[in-house]
Amino acid sequence: MMELEALQEIYSEVRALGAQSVALTPELERYTRNVHKKLNLPFDILTDLHLKTAEQLRLVFVLPDYLRDLYKSFGNSLDRFHDEPGYRLPVPARYVIDKEGIIRAADVNADYTIRPEPSETIKVLRALKP
Amino acid sequence: MASLQSRLDEFKKAFESGAPPYNAPHEAIETTHRATAELKASGIENIALKVGDRAPEFTLFNQDHVNVNSADLLRQGPIVVSFFRGHW
Repeated sequence: MMELEALQEIYSEVRALGAQSVALTPELERYTRNVHKKLNLPFDILTDLHLKTAEQLRLVFVLPDYLRDLYKSFGNSLDRFHDEPGYRLPVPARYVIDKEGIIRAADVNADYTIRPEPSETIKVLRALKP
Repeated sequence: MASLQSRLDEFKKAFESGAPPYNAPHEAIETTHRATAELKASGIENIALKVGDRAPEFTLFNQDHVNVNSADLLRQGPIVVSFFRGHW
């Protein structure tokens, strides 16, 4: 959520640099619709159904049983949110992809409380500008 | 506006204090620490695609059930692709 808000703050700069933002999550549209509305996001949230794109980026992990139990106790029923029985998630990640489809920045961190600053992303986009 | 990382640090501190609004039990905090440590040890950060790799193309539904294709977006310019866990 904080990641989305941070991306929202830099959105006009991203657009001014000729780029766009999208956020991907394994959650079904009934959930992305609510998040999008609640945060009033200027960019799309895309449903990465059954984590197909996350799999291709090799970001997917299966939650260990003890974590699954903890999430369930909080009411976080990922099976319902993702429409699949397995409890899987993407590692938090931010990528910058250039016009040729090549990854120019990759921030992947197993610790969800560590994220790159949006200003770093702006720097990368600036360097890509022709 | 405070930096993203300082906001995350604030959240972490509040969560791990066990106080409201999160009221996280001690065991829950231990569990999340264990899970993060194991995930890090799995090497997933190094397995994920990196700078210089070709990104996969995707066509996915947005929040309004409209298909969005990455190649269409890339024709207009670079894209920032951010993965997040969900609404919870």
